[in-house]
Amino acid sequence: MKTDRSLLLQVLAALVFLALWEILPRAGIVDPLFIPPFSGVAGALRDLYASGELATHTRISLIRAGVGLLAAVLVGLPLGLLLGGWFPRLQTATEPLMELFAQANPVILAHIIIFFLGIGEVAKTFIIAWLCIWPVVFSTITGIRTVDASLLKAARSLGLGRWSLFTSVVLPGAAPSIFTGLRLSAGYAFIMLVASEMMGGSNGIGWLIVQSQESYHVTRIFAGATVITLLAVLADLLLKLIERLLVVWEVEENQDYLKLKKQVPEER
Amino acid sequence: MLAYLLLRWSGVGVFVLLWEMAPRLGWIDPYFVPAFSDVVREIVHLLLDDYLGIHIVVSVWRAVVGLSIACLVGVPLGLALGRLYPRLGDALGPLLRVLSQVNPFSLLPVFVLFFGIGEVAKLSVVGWVSLWPVLFYTMTATRNVDPVQEKSAASMGISLPELLLKVILPAALPTIFVGIRIGATITFYILVASEMLGASAGLGFLVHNAAMNYQIPRIYAGATFIVIFGYLLNRFLIRLEGALFAWREDTALPSAASALAPVSGWRPGRGTAWTGAAALVAIVVFGGIEVRNVNREAASVAPGAHSRHFGTPVDGGGN
Repeated sequence: MKTDRSLLLQVLAALVFLALWEILPRAGIVDPLFIPPFSGVAGALRDLYASGELATHTRISLIRAGVGLLAAVLVGLPLGLLLGGWFPRLQTATEPLMELFAQANPVILAHIIIFFLGIGEVAKTFIIAWLCIWPVVFSTITGIRTVDASLLKAARSLGLGRWSLFTSVVLPGAAPSIFTGLRLSAGYAFIMLVASEMMGGSNGIGWLIVQSQESYHVTRIFAGATVITLLAVLADLLLKLIERLLVVWEVEENQDYLKLKKQVPEER
Repeated sequence: MLAYLLLRWSGVGVFVLLWEMAPRLGWIDPYFVPAFSDVVREIVHLLLDDYLGIHIVVSVWRAVVGLSIACLVGVPLGLALGRLYPRLGDALGPLLRVLSQVNPFSLLPVFVLFFGIGEVAKLSVVGWVSLWPVLFYTMTATRNVDPVQEKSAASMGISLPELLLKVILPAALPTIFVGIRIGATITFYILVASEMLGASAGLGFLVHNAAMNYQIPRIYAGATFIVIFGYLLNRFLIRLEGALFAWREDTALPSAASALAPVSGWRPGRGTAWTGAAALVAIVVFGGIEVRNVNREAASVAPGAHSRHFGTPVDGGGN
């Protein structure tokens, strides 16, 4: 429904933002020491790219976030399906516990996690995975719970067995909600990625930012922040694209921010 | 009802029981995982010894002030972009969405450079994080006001400021509150984490400090307390939302929320509203005084010396 005109306006707005970012520090309206102009940040990005650091740190951060998300899919999705679909009583019994677990900020638990897993890659991945699992679990349960009852009844009366009922009615019905949870997880993954890399380690974009702060490389801080933002936006777009390819029956709404937050009970 | 409650909390019960038994029976080294009762004892000890109260006040003050700033900026801005200048809102939409993805932790160093390591940096992070849900929900809510209400108000010759204040804002308020609630939840999460990365007081600092001093039961006590506190905060806000906006016909929330927390008969009247407002003001004022004292004291404590609020400074000796 997006017209060319509004697209043009949106591009224009982004360009104005970049122009202000360039002009304000150059004109001395904001201190260029604190907010370097856009071209300076782009230069820092180019240098990082040329020295190969950017590729290394980005790859490491992406792997950490990816493994965390993968764990969320491999653990969270089956858990949500089992609890939401097969064991409603068990779900009732475990829900408060899971809500408390979801409330358990992995950064707070970082020191405890370090007791058991050390400070290596495993601990970092665990922190991200822990955070990513819960939105997927909760949104899967909600998705299954809110599958259209008349669809279920119709399928039943047509004589569908348990398994085919599950694969061809319940799962497609819950898919939009599951994807909502996944996108929320991806957002969390990138936020916590930086936090966990700030807590220790020797690589990754988060580490790059901390290290630049300690050596007052302000342009590098902005460069790191830009890269992380772009990665998070790209991951969100990618998940949206996958959703649109897989979930063709759901009408895309324009107000997806509201939709996104509304359906996930973890955010209640 | 009782049977349901028993079933509902049985999962937590089993978990606590395991936590109690595993260290006692030697399944896990009790040095690394203290038994649940020891952790509870440590929480009580912290509460009575006056440390915990101050850390709570500091954290809550930061959250409340940051959230208030976000509301003061987000609601008017959302109203302007969603209602007064919808084309501008349209044009800025994608840009705002990209900005909302900017990682609060990567901003922390920038804010620290800007404002120093004091309160303003932390408040900026909190404000930044909670601004986006408030802004986006306000934009969406003011855009989706029932046109019938608007038209009937217009046909009675309402002026624009009155239309905004008396029709659009009340109609949008339930959705705006959802945004504020989500902002509050995320804020508490991020705040505690950022207190671990650099602070001299607050719940996150309490845990971090305990870890630096190998006070293992205290790590567990702090973490457990934060989890329970966050959970209760969340529950309270959901309850408040149900009570405040019980008049809503189309509940935008899915039934799961209302099924779990059956809306009580309680409705906040004028007295409750004043009490709530007074409590908020009290938190901001007295919390602010307390935060100033804490920061001043933290700045004046020499390394290794004993401070009333923090037990042992990070780089100090044993307890």
